[in-house]
Amino acid sequence: MARFTLTVNGRARPVNVAPETPLLWVLRDELDLTGTKYGCGEGQCGACTVHVDGAAIRSCVTPVSSVARQKITTIEGLSRDGSHPVQRAWIAEDVPQCGYCQPGQIMTAASLLAFRPKPTDAEIDDAMSGNICRCGTYPRIRKAIHRAAGLGAKKK
Amino acid sequence: MSVRSAIDRRTFLKIGVTAAGGLLVSFSWPARAENGGGTALGAFVEIEPDGSVTIFSPRPEIGGGVKTSLAMMIAEELAVDWKTVKVRQPDRLDPKYLDQFTGGSGGVRDSWGDLRKAGAAARAVLVAAAAERWGVAASECRAEQGAVIHVASGRRLVYGELVKRASQLDLPKDPALKDPKDFRHVGKPTPTVDLAQIVTGRIAYGLDVRLPGMLHAVIERSPTFGGKVVHFDASRALAVPGVKKVVELPADRFALKSGRPIMVANGVAVVATSTWAAMKGRRALDVRWEPGPAAAESTRTLRGELERLTSGPPGQVLRNDGDVDAALAAAAKTLEAVYEAPFVEASPMEPVNCTALYRDGVCELWAPTQNPYNARSFAGTAVGLPQESWEKSVVVNMLRPGGGFGRRLDNDYVGEAAWLAKEVPGAPIQVVWTRGDELRHSLYRSTGYHRLRAGLDASGMPIAWSHHLASPSRYRYQHGESPPYDSEITPDDFPAQFIPNLRVGWSEAQSAVPRGYYRAMVPGANLFALECFLDEIAHAAGKDPLALRLALLGPDRAVKYGGYGGPVFDTGRLRRVLEIAAAKGDWGKPVRKGRARGIAGGFVFGSYVAAVAEVSVVRGGEVRVHRIVEAADCGTPVNPQGIAKQIEGGAIDGMNLALKLEITIDKGAVVQKSFAEYPLTRMREAPQIETHVVESAEAPSGIGEMAVPPAIGAIVNAVSAAAGKRVRKLPIRLA
Repeated sequence: MARFTLTVNGRARPVNVAPETPLLWVLRDELDLTGTKYGCGEGQCGACTVHVDGAAIRSCVTPVSSVARQKITTIEGLSRDGSHPVQRAWIAEDVPQCGYCQPGQIMTAASLLAFRPKPTDAEIDDAMSGNICRCGTYPRIRKAIHRAAGLGAKKK
Repeated sequence: MSVRSAIDRRTFLKIGVTAAGGLLVSFSWPARAENGGGTALGAFVEIEPDGSVTIFSPRPEIGGGVKTSLAMMIAEELAVDWKTVKVRQPDRLDPKYLDQFTGGSGGVRDSWGDLRKAGAAARAVLVAAAAERWGVAASECRAEQGAVIHVASGRRLVYGELVKRASQLDLPKDPALKDPKDFRHVGKPTPTVDLAQIVTGRIAYGLDVRLPGMLHAVIERSPTFGGKVVHFDASRALAVPGVKKVVELPADRFALKSGRPIMVANGVAVVATSTWAAMKGRRALDVRWEPGPAAAESTRTLRGELERLTSGPPGQVLRNDGDVDAALAAAAKTLEAVYEAPFVEASPMEPVNCTALYRDGVCELWAPTQNPYNARSFAGTAVGLPQESWEKSVVVNMLRPGGGFGRRLDNDYVGEAAWLAKEVPGAPIQVVWTRGDELRHSLYRSTGYHRLRAGLDASGMPIAWSHHLASPSRYRYQHGESPPYDSEITPDDFPAQFIPNLRVGWSEAQSAVPRGYYRAMVPGANLFALECFLDEIAHAAGKDPLALRLALLGPDRAVKYGGYGGPVFDTGRLRRVLEIAAAKGDWGKPVRKGRARGIAGGFVFGSYVAAVAEVSVVRGGEVRVHRIVEAADCGTPVNPQGIAKQIEGGAIDGMNLALKLEITIDKGAVVQKSFAEYPLTRMREAPQIETHVVESAEAPSGIGEMAVPPAIGAIVNAVSAAAGKRVRKLPIRLA
């Protein structure tokens, strides 16, 4: 076991865990931040996506020891009140069905827009194809990303 | 999903008062036999004195939108402003909510009468309370937007001012329902409730349950179906910090009343203080397995058996019209083809999981399930509590599941969690399946091998048809008795009844692979075979595939349909959606070079659907789907936006089944261990999808599954056209 003081959603969060523990399980089991989802544990589905220094990463394959000094943002910290342009666009396009993958989709989309404020369809494909939606909400995700771009999603 | 409810539909309205003094409308309802008898009150509407309205939407929301659409139905009759309504899902399984089951596309269809009545009865007593206050006849008043209005004088009282008195009045047993032309909510595109909760990550799914002192567990299960633990050494696992206990989970533990063991593998569970510690402990386990008799089974051996079975006469003849053999012998042209569908696994995005607590003879569950009644049975059986006590001794807390797709109709995972909870009494335990567990130890939609023959007359019209399916039976696997035929194949499916000489037969194959459900389970596999063989016939006869279907359907009329979604199949409604899909999907128009279109339709669980797909085949045999146009007639469209979403998602699931998903078996074990080997459709593959929903005044029918089968058929037919060779096996492999 090892002690880390993580910076999660702008707050210092001390934890005492095995250093190789995936960030996902530290967030979910130690910090009760359950908005970040477990889908595969192998970095193949994107349900666990969070931001580390603004970049989208798969928390299920990221050892906590590797992000101990970086700024971690989870879906709970993307905005205080659901007002991030991506979240607003997701609501406007009525994207979710079961909703389980959507925190990961939203975090990936927010990171995309931070780096590419007006993404093309091809850029959306590249950025979003690591996130599986079992319900098949892709057409609405695509529309929502274009809408969010119009709302002026800017680098967080 | 051929899920039939045996519930007696008689309802009795009763009235009660909520803790806050509000009005509470409920039915008493004969409980399902599985509950152990008894009736209780239910509650769908609460109006607080401050005028706020809460609607309880009873069925589990697995992503199909029932939480929204059921609440819309109640709100419609209650005559309230949708914007002021709070929609809640009941916290627990409780008979007062009538039916807390989601499956078989039945949510809206089966609630259409009762839940509107719940809203209308509440409206009636609110109107009566207002009329009494004003000293006028109730017939002089009407309700709208959360208020009662005296039409002549224009006086108005909001529900909050009336609720106290209204709650003292008797609810009408058979309240008048609105005329559909007065609907304000039903039929209006309505966004999903809970959107704000979902996009902020605040909504809790099964795995998000956090309880004081909660333990976490994962289970290493027998790699082969039916294999047994010979020996295990837990010492290294127990040395992992956080691991509390390692325990063998016996197979065949959870026999239901019939005495039949069900669906739980022999395994070794690792219990720890965190999920990661449990997973790490599992990796440190040393288990020796006895593979058991299933080790002789593989996809190849089973396919050989299916081929053999369909080479002979069918085990059961389910339909036999005219004289098929004579008509085939006399036909101007005959065709024979074999269509094959593999085992598939539903793989909801949230892997199956359950949290359970066993304490003082009570088992409490936090279960993300489509079928909480069945969850209670599994848990009650697993912990050995007497069935007559389950209503009190097995408490089912309803958690939102992260998708269902049929996987959460079976509750093997709930039984496991309950059994393990009894091993650590007093401590809640959360059992999670990894993605690999989900893929390798699930219940699978069965594989099927369809041998089809057709005889055409001189004009190219089919006059003889023979369909022989061989498959392992889901029904037999789960119930241990002879399957009713429509659990495996539906002998009334088009073109049955439209070809004079037609035979449908089924032969049962043995397999150790557990069989369960999948979205549009039976039609997903069977309509693929039917709609693609029809396409093949059209091409052989030099006919347009749409024209052939329309010619077979003939004049609009109602014929009987004995399968799920019956009892009536209206040919005109299928014709219409075929024509809409064709028109909107540019059927028969020139297509860009390298692309081709395919069309398919079907009657799925009471709804009529058709699709046109446009595809191309790129070098190496990779298929690209560019566009899918689907038209659906699902009766009164309660929430057109929700229906559009289900068609979009269903079309993508059709792509999964047409192009991607296959569970294969080697030496009695599933080969696929991850999404890398079981690849679901991703964003870059998602086509343009267009949806067209027919306006209808018919009673609503199911929407959650209907879009899948025609998408499969349309894609396969388009690929056959684009590749210049007939595709008959799923998933499509052209290379």
